[in-house]
Amino acid sequence: MENFLNQMAELLEVDSVNPQDEITSFDAWDSLTSLSIIALADDEYSVTISAQDILNAKIIGDLYQFIQSKK
Amino acid sequence: MSFNPIALNEKRFLISGAASGLGRATSVLLSKLGAELVLLDINEEGLNSTKGLCGDAAVNCITANLQNPVEIKPVIIGAVEKWGKLNGFVHLAGRPYVSPLKSINHNTTTEIFNLNTYSAIELAKVFTNKNVYAGEAGSIVFISSVYGFVGSAANVGYAMSKAALHGVTKSLSIELASKNIRVNCVAPGFVKTKMLDNVSGSFNQDYYNTLNNLHPLGLGEADDVANAIAFLLSDMSKWITGTILSVDGGFTAQ
Repeated sequence: MENFLNQMAELLEVDSVNPQDEITSFDAWDSLTSLSIIALADDEYSVTISAQDILNAKIIGDLYQFIQSKK
Repeated sequence: MSFNPIALNEKRFLISGAASGLGRATSVLLSKLGAELVLLDINEEGLNSTKGLCGDAAVNCITANLQNPVEIKPVIIGAVEKWGKLNGFVHLAGRPYVSPLKSINHNTTTEIFNLNTYSAIELAKVFTNKNVYAGEAGSIVFISSVYGFVGSAANVGYAMSKAALHGVTKSLSIELASKNIRVNCVAPGFVKTKMLDNVSGSFNQDYYNTLNNLHPLGLGEADDVANAIAFLLSDMSKWITGTILSVDGGFTAQ
């Protein structure tokens, strides 16, 4: 989980994130960041997710759980 | 016998990436034009399906992982020993890589480069061996992309691999001209294949509509690309080498 939080912080261009943070609430959130998360899930976790999956998860912790559930 | 300048009778070609999409459509077309084929892919089941679509044509299959260059030479040498020398090959194997810069991954980028680009060079190296090349009417066709010419966001790794093929095409066309081997490249726009379906899954309907609108003639069919490949393999293009042929419904004309 900690590694995932660090990766999300880098993609969202902040120093740190919390599991309760809303994914779309960050200033850096845009369609390219969504694609970056999709690429991260594929490269680092070998999981295929969609842009809608990210929106459905709403918060970072739930996205992490979603990715884990697909492994 | 009717006049058919694009006929490929008595010629034998190797097709990489033949298990699906553009590779499958190309294989079916070339077999109809009379070519003997050696189909190469990592997906044996897909290869057998493609072979089935080629009817009674002389089609044989070999499997290899093109991301691993050392696998290429032994399987091709083995194929030539069984089925005869080659007049050329088409490198259709490849995969997309959708990733913005901030999530680009070195390992994945290297895999993309090895499959999309370096394996093209390795195939050419093996093909030009005197024990592999039939010695006449040689033709190599690479497949790049509109993204070898123009940019798009979240595509840097794929664009790198395809733009590099343009340099490979021009360089090898000069190096191999004295062996009577022509080297050309087809740069397709988006065609309706499973690969497009997979990539489009990362986007919403608006993006898909935008993609469609980028092609003045609309999205293409796999056969549109296969037709161009057949032309470049045939003697109809015997004075064409080192060219990058856009087959993109007008995508890059804008």
